[in-house]
Amino acid sequence: MADHLGLKIARLAIVVAVFAGWEALSRTGAVNPRLLPSASDTLATLGYLLQRASVRNDLLATASEVLAAFALAVPFGCLIGFLIAENRYFADVMKPLLFFAFSIPKSIFLPMFILVFGVGFAEKVGFGFFSTIFIVIMSTTTAVESVKMEYLTVARSYGATSAQTAFRVYLPSMLPVLLEALRISMIFNLTGVILAEMYASRDGIGHQIATWGENFQMKQLLAGVVMIAAIAMAFNETIRWVETRCSHWRT
Amino acid sequence: MQPLANVTPLKPAARAGAIQIDRVGQVFKTSTQDVIALSDVSLDIKPGRFIVLVGPSGCGKSTLLMMLAGLRPQTSGTILINGAPIPKPDPDRVGVVFQEASLFPWLTAEENVEFPLALRGVAKAERRAKAEDALKLVGLDGFGKRHPHELSGGMKQRVSIARGLVQDPPVLLMDEPFAALDEQTRMTMGDELLRIWSATGKTVVFVTHSLTEAVYLADEVAVMSARPGRIVDHLQIPLPRPRTYEMLSGDAFGSLRDRIWRHIRKSA
Repeated sequence: MADHLGLKIARLAIVVAVFAGWEALSRTGAVNPRLLPSASDTLATLGYLLQRASVRNDLLATASEVLAAFALAVPFGCLIGFLIAENRYFADVMKPLLFFAFSIPKSIFLPMFILVFGVGFAEKVGFGFFSTIFIVIMSTTTAVESVKMEYLTVARSYGATSAQTAFRVYLPSMLPVLLEALRISMIFNLTGVILAEMYASRDGIGHQIATWGENFQMKQLLAGVVMIAAIAMAFNETIRWVETRCSHWRT
Repeated sequence: MQPLANVTPLKPAARAGAIQIDRVGQVFKTSTQDVIALSDVSLDIKPGRFIVLVGPSGCGKSTLLMMLAGLRPQTSGTILINGAPIPKPDPDRVGVVFQEASLFPWLTAEENVEFPLALRGVAKAERRAKAEDALKLVGLDGFGKRHPHELSGGMKQRVSIARGLVQDPPVLLMDEPFAALDEQTRMTMGDELLRIWSATGKTVVFVTHSLTEAVYLADEVAVMSARPGRIVDHLQIPLPRPRTYEMLSGDAFGSLRDRIWRHIRKSA
């Protein structure tokens, strides 16, 4: 327990040191404060920005795009991943192709999304979906394959129906892997949507960050970075918390 | 154990646990050829008997067990349990105990034992009571809240046995249940199984690789050979019960084990 506390203190110390170093570099003039505004100024700007209605609308726009892309990519990806894992022939055909597709950087397709969907909600959701679906498919395939044959035989020998096998064996057995997949998918999803916003968009926090950067508004830019980082970490930690609660048996 | 509420009602009680295997064959079709896994296997098992199937790898003993469990149809011949065929799994007639890895790791011991009851929608309180009785029977009173990873190998197999018994079926099928255990635990579990068996009066069909285990546990041993799988000998084990550790080094035990070994060596 003391060790555990020690680790936490060490981590906290590093975070504090990073912010302190940042503050010092800027205050002493070691780095031009116009390039690197101090940490305290950035955080103050963050507080100010969060009070502005336009920034809150941007956050809302980004959130709705991210959630829409996620809500489409996860069930679709799970379904395809499940079909691939359950059907031997389909798996043999599709798996190498998916691996090829997964290895391509998704960002190079962004201009095509803009041409097809135009600049707006559909383009960003579409690109977020596209950035996410491959990892969902591949993780689901892994999750299905992690279900042991023995478990299915046990279920069958006690007369389980298909629905019972799905909900009482497949689902709990896959849950830890699926939650992990969900968490990683969200990272891809967020990256996709923000990138689309930065590249071509009229709203969204990614669009704001790009604009601040172009206008050399470093305080706002850094505040935006801190904002998105905090949101991403909050989501990640929430899923991780659920993960540890659901997979205590995985040892 | 509580008396069971729902044994197959058509059959007279006197036949509960009887198994008749009559000229059963099993052929696996592959793309290149047909493999005869079992050929002309016949066994008549009286209710309450402890029968062990033993034989080299690939002799089809596990296949035969899966057929008795209704998990795999035979290609020819008939199998009757309680006088009726078993075209699909029927937990009222047959409980199955698998190898060590078959407990669900996300459920506690008692939830694992309750699993067969939960599938049939038995009410929570009744389920819990039956699981507790079954865990008590296998000597795991008070361990119900543990997860499988918190139990030793032997304890896990006790949970598996409890799960097989929780619906009080007349027949218990056991597929190499102690294969993954160390020697000492294996001996202890053998004695435990015999105690449970004599307390419940089940018909037990037990598959193993171990000749010592076979002779030690069984009323009768069916020795199988491979390619094709068939029964080459059917021994009665006349050793008195309860079986004791001392019997292992006796002449009677040795000659029974030797007789089985000679069959297996011939076919291996």
